[in-house]
Amino acid sequence: MTVALLAQQSMKALSETFVALALFASVATAGGDLIAVRVGRAETVSQGTIEHAVILIDNGKIVAIGQDLPIDRGIPTIDRPNWTVMPGFVNAYSRFGLTAQGGAGSEPHKLASSEIYPRDAVFEDLLEYGYTTLGLYPPGNGIPGQAVAIRPVGDTIEELIVRDNAYLKIRLASNAGSKKMLRDGFAGVDKFDEKEAKRLEKWEKDKEKADKKKKKKSKKDDDKDEEKEDDKKKEEELGDFVPEAPKDNVLPFVQLRNGELSALFSIRTASDFIHLIDAIDEEEFTWNLRVPLRDDIDLYEVTERIGKLEKCVVVEPRLTFHPGTRRVRNLPLELAEAGAKLAFIPRSDSTRGYRDCRFNIAELLGAGLDRDVALRGMTLEPATLLGLEERIGSLDEGKDANLIFLSGDPFEGTTQIEAVMLEGRVVFGELK
Amino acid sequence: MKLNSKTLLFLSLPLLFSFSSMASSMAPLTFNAPRVLLGDDDKKGEDADEEDDEDRDRYLAVIGGDVYSGNGSVMRGASILAKNGIIEEIGHDLWIPEEAEVLNAKGMRVYPGMIAVEASPNIVVSTSRSADEGLGDLHVHPVDEEIDPLAVFEAFADELLEGRHSVEDSYDPFSQSLVLALSSGITSTVSNGTAIKLKRGEIDDLVMSENSQVSMAWSSKNPAGRRSLREKFEAASSYLRDYRVWEKRPKSEEDTKAPSEKGVDKNVVAVLTGQKRARFTSNEQGDLLSLARFAQQYEFRPIIVGCIEGWTVADELGRAGATAIITPRDRRDRNEMLNRESGSTIENAAILYEHGVQIAIIPSNTGFDMGGQSGRDLMHLPIEVGFAMRGGLPESAALDSVTVVPARLLGISHRVGTLEEGKDCDLIVTDGDLLHYQTFVQYTVVDGSIAYDKQKEIFFAHIRPRATEEVFDPGEEVAEDVDEAVVEDSEAATDESSEDSPTDEEGADEDSEEESDEGGDESEEDGR
Repeated sequence: MTVALLAQQSMKALSETFVALALFASVATAGGDLIAVRVGRAETVSQGTIEHAVILIDNGKIVAIGQDLPIDRGIPTIDRPNWTVMPGFVNAYSRFGLTAQGGAGSEPHKLASSEIYPRDAVFEDLLEYGYTTLGLYPPGNGIPGQAVAIRPVGDTIEELIVRDNAYLKIRLASNAGSKKMLRDGFAGVDKFDEKEAKRLEKWEKDKEKADKKKKKKSKKDDDKDEEKEDDKKKEEELGDFVPEAPKDNVLPFVQLRNGELSALFSIRTASDFIHLIDAIDEEEFTWNLRVPLRDDIDLYEVTERIGKLEKCVVVEPRLTFHPGTRRVRNLPLELAEAGAKLAFIPRSDSTRGYRDCRFNIAELLGAGLDRDVALRGMTLEPATLLGLEERIGSLDEGKDANLIFLSGDPFEGTTQIEAVMLEGRVVFGELK
Repeated sequence: MKLNSKTLLFLSLPLLFSFSSMASSMAPLTFNAPRVLLGDDDKKGEDADEEDDEDRDRYLAVIGGDVYSGNGSVMRGASILAKNGIIEEIGHDLWIPEEAEVLNAKGMRVYPGMIAVEASPNIVVSTSRSADEGLGDLHVHPVDEEIDPLAVFEAFADELLEGRHSVEDSYDPFSQSLVLALSSGITSTVSNGTAIKLKRGEIDDLVMSENSQVSMAWSSKNPAGRRSLREKFEAASSYLRDYRVWEKRPKSEEDTKAPSEKGVDKNVVAVLTGQKRARFTSNEQGDLLSLARFAQQYEFRPIIVGCIEGWTVADELGRAGATAIITPRDRRDRNEMLNRESGSTIENAAILYEHGVQIAIIPSNTGFDMGGQSGRDLMHLPIEVGFAMRGGLPESAALDSVTVVPARLLGISHRVGTLEEGKDCDLIVTDGDLLHYQTFVQYTVVDGSIAYDKQKEIFFAHIRPRATEEVFDPGEEVAEDVDEAVVEDSEAATDESSEDSPTDEEGADEDSEEESDEGGDESEEDGR
């Protein structure tokens, strides 16, 4: 049962208003620096649009959200009846502000977080354009390493990082070398498991032997002093089985298998997808796709298959030409209609790209894309891709208060971003 | 859903047959039978969809076409039923399972898929292709998309250094070349000595045979090479002789050693034992003659590529059991210095065939692409064959030259090359005589699934379209002789198909199948 739900119900049934007020009072007194936001409209992403929304923020987290919630006296309130608020944009696939050039080998243990410069001036631009979370991936083809999710504010790397090991980036191409790299990764885990199993077996045997010896001795020594027996036991004890830690380059694949890590496969063509499925074979782990949309791409050949697997696809908001023609295809729409999820990234990984991204998405809306899909594609889906669906990506109780305040509809050309809030702090614009 | 809409479409055809309500009963295919209730069948389609795709048998029925099986028989208005990619039955009055995908070939001809015995198909994702992919949008995501040449090399180093190139690991099942090959009626081809099936959207079980041929050189310009080849054959045949003697040794000599393989060329042994075919490129009369005699001496059946002057020594080549891979349009001037026939002739294929030489035909360009010289590449294989026919090659031999003979050369004739029960269902449906210049391939079926439909691809759909359909013109009324039930069906089908397909164009195309039979007939009459 949530506060908001209760509150909303209370709105409908006036008789219960007092209950809701009482509840809010209790919330208000519990928190330290509580603030309330009252706006004309809130795009929650997870639960649709709320008109006349009130959001209650405590300690950087959203504690309540609902329509016309009563605000307790004394709580500082940001009152903007003409504005729209929505969750901060998330770009799950970026190399913004990073420079290094990558190789093409398999280095799954490398972390993109090691490349970050805190206090980089470029991050301020991101905030201005509403981006409150960024997934930075390591450079290179092959298996270059693991991405990191950051908030673009902070003086140290620790302050920047929201989640290290966000996903494992893998470039998969239609060739034997690339497919082998992936298979070898899991083969490494198999080898490791086998070795461990053998060690465990040996340990169990040794223990059995030791136990037998113990029993024999204990029978013989039945009459002797108990103290002595204890001493002997101590001597004979083998110790518990200590599992060995897998090697650096094996660990990520172990984590893929046990679900601690997800993979993001970067592919270029429909054929790459078929070869990816072939390379994965029966392996089960969480994975998603990154496909750069360029003209003449033949991705439409596999949209149905991607949709069936309900994968999330990282794409630019871009209309492409059908191969060999000037016929426009809306591949994001085709993917969405097939059942795939979309995570949008700016067309170009530059400040201009971030500035224009929501307008580029608006173009796709004009070409038939569903508005909800577009909103999710900028917030919740990339957040899920980064493994942060519990923390960010929508306006829900318990999530971080990453809010964008807009002068109107986010996809309207004239709409401006008035202010941005990151975990309860105003990081762009003025809110008083 | 696809299956469902197909069923509906089929029902909407003027030519109908009834499905038995019980799947197990062997109800024959009856033409012009009363129409089945649509609702009834619809339900069954849905039920079938709910079942697990993996476990279900995959049926394809190509019905009502004139089947040119490639083994000499022609069956008019026959049907072919394929189960899981294998031809189950060919004939009239077949029982067709209701879940079968139906391809209506009425008024059209059905041939085995053609086989390109030599090809340089661009169906493999090359390293260069993945390299320039990134260059299109350099400003976008610089590090990921920009390709470092060294990185590319590293990524493919394994492949390059170990020669571990596998077609199956780099096959592009969506490439334009593949679609062009299928549009030309070619269902199998060769890539680096490997015979592959041109599957679309799939990469499983592509390879049918590997290295079935051994290339050898035989030229009067290189006497040393000829001598060394002769020595190799001599060594190999004496080894084989010894081996056979050793094989049949009495029990008392059980322990004697097998003859030494030292200095024996394994490939030559394979040629002599018939496991592989020796392949020569030779055009000159003198070379061909000596080669024919060489082959007769060692009793192997050579493959001769080119064979331009073969017609002058056709009897010798025939005696040697040679197979010639011919390009009928190849030209070679007559040698005026000689007091005998020489040079090229359009009759080459016909004369060779008369003397018992098997003929396979390839064009001068063995690629599938939109560039190059039009009409002389693999996209126009039947036209090339037409030139051999112009020179007198019989029609059946002409068909064989692009189907069963190439299959034999590649060692895959047990699977493809003719339409027979138990063979792979690789076939093409054409709107006329395959070897006529006006004929288009309308459908290409590979492994029992429709891999190409002329009306659904951008290449030839607009040239003599298969049907003119009322769907394109909303103002036009449905023809009078089509009764209400059919109209309903076709409308249902329209809805179905437009839901299925992402683009409007494809939806429209599916509907146009309805009149395909009539359209095919008309164009045939108009054209000839």
